[in-house]
Amino acid sequence: MNNEKKWSDQEIAAIGSSVVIVGSLVLYWVLQFESTIELLELAYGSVHLFNNPLVF
Amino acid sequence: MLNLLLSQYRKTTILFLVLILIAILEAFEVRTSIHGNTLPYFEWLKNSSWLGIIGTTYGSVYATVEAVHLISMAIIGGTVLVADLRLLGIILTDIPSETITRGTHKVFRNALIFAVASGIFCAAGVADKVYYMPVFWIKMLALIAGSCFVFLVKQPLLNTVPHDEIRPWTLRLLAVCSLLVWFTVAATGRWIGFS
Repeated sequence: MNNEKKWSDQEIAAIGSSVVIVGSLVLYWVLQFESTIELLELAYGSVHLFNNPLVF
Repeated sequence: MLNLLLSQYRKTTILFLVLILIAILEAFEVRTSIHGNTLPYFEWLKNSSWLGIIGTTYGSVYATVEAVHLISMAIIGGTVLVADLRLLGIILTDIPSETITRGTHKVFRNALIFAVASGIFCAAGVADKVYYMPVFWIKMLALIAGSCFVFLVKQPLLNTVPHDEIRPWTLRLLAVCSLLVWFTVAATGRWIGFS
């Protein structure tokens, strides 16, 4: 591996698209996690492990 | 200037222009308006198309196609895991990564064709239901993004350049991106099933 070599077009495109996709998906899953926590807090007032709002 | 960019950095320029186009389309809420206009098509798909009629009439046919869909997804998952964990240097390190990525890509491509074809049939049977599910649209976006990423970016780079000439962090980023995008496709797919 030569670290001093020029960045190729394909490599820049690969890094750019990877960063955009990974960033979008991480944001999506973090927001889903937050909304799940909010739902559990709404149902129970606090979050405990294995508390399922569908089980009464 | 533009000619220089297009000749030397063609893919990067196209990627940049696509991202700008997506941002403009989102700013003008084009996606939202398209989504609203597709409801009649989904209703036709469920109630009038032969796909929807077969899917809702014959449970055994639907179950068989669903099984093909799940097996295709399992093959996609397997090929993605093998190729990307090898790129991360976790498994099969005694086999050249070029051999593994080339070999798995052929299987991946065929499994994706089966998964998409069977997925259209499965979606047709419940088209009026999935239309209202945000997670269905997330899956479609992830599927489109993942397919474009694999066929236009990842595989062309891995097939044309020896992997030891690519920066290690680029290979790792490609692998992580691929794992995450296909994990999202699989997870949102199961989410649709439980919604």
